[in-house]
Amino acid sequence: MSSSFARARRNEMLLAYALLLPSLIFLAVFTYWPIIRSVWFSLHDVLLGDPEIFWLGAENYLRLLDDRLFWKVLGNTAFYTLTTIPLSIIVALLLAVAMDSKLRGMAIYRSAFFYPVMIPSVAAGMLWVFLYAPGYGPINAALTTLGLPRLDWLYDSDWALPAIVIMSIWKYSGYFMLILLAALKLVPSDLYEAARLDGVSGWHRLIHITVPLVSPTLYFVIIIGTLHSYQIFDYVYVMTQGGPADSTNVLTYYIYQNGFQYQDIGYASALANALLIAVLGFIGLVSVTLGRRVHYLGER
Amino acid sequence: MKSTKPNMMRRRLLATGLAAPFVSAMPGILTPARANDTVKLQFMYPVGVSGDINTIISNMIAEFNATHDGVEVEAIYAGSYDNTEQKVITSLGVGEPPALWLPINSSLQTFLGLDALEDITEQAKADDIYDDFIGGFLDTAVSDGRLYGLSYQPSTPVLYYNKDAFAEAGLGDAPVTWDELMTAAQALTIRDGDALKRWGLTIGGGWHDWMFEGYCRQNGLVPWEADKVLWDRPEAIEALEFWKKMVDAGCMAPASTWQGSANDFMAGSTAMLYHSTGSLTNLRTSSPFEVGVAFMPKRKQFGASQGGGPIMIAKNQSDAKKEAAWTFARWMTNTENQAAWSRATGYLAVRKSSWQQPEMQQYLAEVPQAEVAMKQAEYSGAFLQVPAYSRARDNLKSAIDRTLAGEIAPEAALTTATADTNREIQRVQRRQG
Repeated sequence: MSSSFARARRNEMLLAYALLLPSLIFLAVFTYWPIIRSVWFSLHDVLLGDPEIFWLGAENYLRLLDDRLFWKVLGNTAFYTLTTIPLSIIVALLLAVAMDSKLRGMAIYRSAFFYPVMIPSVAAGMLWVFLYAPGYGPINAALTTLGLPRLDWLYDSDWALPAIVIMSIWKYSGYFMLILLAALKLVPSDLYEAARLDGVSGWHRLIHITVPLVSPTLYFVIIIGTLHSYQIFDYVYVMTQGGPADSTNVLTYYIYQNGFQYQDIGYASALANALLIAVLGFIGLVSVTLGRRVHYLGER
Repeated sequence: MKSTKPNMMRRRLLATGLAAPFVSAMPGILTPARANDTVKLQFMYPVGVSGDINTIISNMIAEFNATHDGVEVEAIYAGSYDNTEQKVITSLGVGEPPALWLPINSSLQTFLGLDALEDITEQAKADDIYDDFIGGFLDTAVSDGRLYGLSYQPSTPVLYYNKDAFAEAGLGDAPVTWDELMTAAQALTIRDGDALKRWGLTIGGGWHDWMFEGYCRQNGLVPWEADKVLWDRPEAIEALEFWKKMVDAGCMAPASTWQGSANDFMAGSTAMLYHSTGSLTNLRTSSPFEVGVAFMPKRKQFGASQGGGPIMIAKNQSDAKKEAAWTFARWMTNTENQAAWSRATGYLAVRKSSWQQPEMQQYLAEVPQAEVAMKQAEYSGAFLQVPAYSRARDNLKSAIDRTLAGEIAPEAALTTATADTNREIQRVQRRQG
C-alpha cells in the first residue's frame, strides 16, 4: 500500500521535473549562465571584440564607488522609479474606477486609454520628441495658450527626466488600468451597496473598500511597475541618449554605454551586478513594507 | 600603443570557455553549397549628416555591383557612426567582421587595438593613392606611418548662415572672429517678450565636442596628444568660457541635437549653425532662404578638426575577399565617384584630380559655398585620435553640457573631464601594454 503510494509520488515528481525541464534549460542558458558570466567578467578587464581577458579582482567595483556618473545615474533611476510608479498607479486606479461604471460606449473609452500601451516604445518615443519640441511642439503651443511659460523640455537638464516620466505615465497607466479593472470586477457589489445605504461618500468608498480589496492586485502592479521602470532604456535611447548633461542617463543605458560604446564589458558587468542587487533590495523593501499590508479577500 | 607596464599583477586568461556560447557559430550549416565564384562582401556604413545619404550610397553600390562581375557588395546601413562602430566591434567579437566598414576617423586606435585592420600601405603605394589623395585627408587613417583605410568622406564643421536673416538684421558678411560672431548672434536673436522666436546661433548638438575641438584649435591648441587629452589647458577653458558667455547672453542655444539643429536652421528657428560640410547640399537645397557658408570664426587663427571617415578593410578574412574589398574601396574613392559624391552631399572629395574635373569646376563656379570647407581644410587636423576616444567624447560633451546648463564652472568641468579621460586612456593602454 505504502510502496505503491511512494511510487505514485515519485512518478508525479518525475513528471513535474519533466515538465519543468524545457523552461529550466532556457533559464539556464539565457539567464543563469549570463548572470554567472557577468559576475566572472566583472572581476576582469574585458574588451568587447577581444577574446583575451585579464584578472582585476575588485577593481571594477572600486571604480564604481569613485564614479560620479554612476551615482548620478543611480539617482536618476531612483527618481524615475519613485515618480513613475506611484503616479501611474494613481492615474490607473482612478481610470479603472471610472471605467468600471456601466456608461454607454465604455468599451471605446477603455480602448482609448489602453491604446498607448499598444504603441511600440520607439514609435512612442519619437512621437513625444515631436510633442516636446521647443519651437513647434504642440505641448509648448498648449502651454502658451494657457498663458503658461514655455519649456525646453528634452533640451533642459532640469526638465528632461520629468518629461520622460510624464510620457511613461501616459504609456503605462492604461496597462495598469486594465489589470486593476479586472480586480475591480471581483469586488462584491453588496459591500458598495451597504456603504451607500450608510451614506459613505464616494471618496471614502474608494479608500476604505476599493483600495483594500484590490490591494493584492495593487501590490502585483507595483512589483511589475518596478521591474518595468528600472529596465527603462528605449525612451532614453530614442529621446535623449542620456543627455542633456547626463540628466536622463539611467542604469540600463549607462550599462549599454559602457559595454557597447566604450567596449568596457568588465565595468558594464560590475554595473549590471550593482543593478541586480539594487533591484533585489528594492523589491525586498517593497515586499516587507507593502507586501505585509496586502488584504486578501476571505483571509484574516 | 607599445607602452610597456611590466609590474601589472594580472593573469592572462584565455576566455575560450567563457566565450564559447557567444561564438556558437554554425558555419557548416549556414554556408550555401553553391559553387559560384562571386565574392560576397558586406559593407557597413553610417549616415553622419543631414540629408538622404543612404539613397546616394545605395545607388553607388548598386552601380558597382552592376559593373563588377565576380564581386557583390551587400550594403548595410548601420545607423549613426556610433551604431556602426558597435555593430562592427560586435561582429569582430564573434570572429565574423564585415569585409569593409566606414567609421569615424577617431576610431582608428580603437580598431587597431583589436587588431582588426588590414594594412593597405603597399597596395596604396603601388597605386596612385599617395600621389592623388589630399595629404591631410589620408593622414587621418595613418598610424605609425602605415595606412589603414582610404579616406572616403572627410568633412570639417563650417558656419552656415541665413543670408535673409543677415540682411534683415542689417548685417553684411559672415563673422570672421569670435567677437564678431557674438555680436552677430545677438543681433540675430529674436524674442517676443520672454518667448524665443529665433536663436542667433546653434552649435550642432551631439557633435558639439567636435566643434569645441575646432574652437581650441582656433585658440592655438590641439587639445590632445597620442595618449592624453589637454582640455584643462587655458586655451580650452577660454573657449568654453566664450560659449558660456554666449549662452548667458541669450544668443546661443544651450543644447540641441544633430538632426534637430539642422532642421531648426532650415525652419528658420536659428540664424547661424555650426554643422558638418557633409550637410551642405541638403541645407542649401532644402532651406527656403539663401544659405551662406563661411569658415568657423577665428580667435588667434582659423582652425577645424576633420570629421568623416575612411573605408577600412577587415584583416580577418580570406585573401580573395581582401582583394575584392580593395577593388571596392578603390572604386568608391576614384576620381569620378569622389567628385559626384562631393557634389551630392557636400563632403570634401579626397582626390586632387576630382577637384580638377570639368563638372566639379563648373559646380564650384555655380555653388561657391562648396569650396569653403575645402579652403578651411588647410587649417584642419585629425579629430581626437586617442584610445578610448568614445568615452573621451562623452566626458567632454557632458562637461560642456553641464557648464552651459549652469551646473558647474568651465574650468572645474574641463579639469574633471580631463582627469577622468586620461585615467581611462591609461586603463586601455595598460591592457595593450
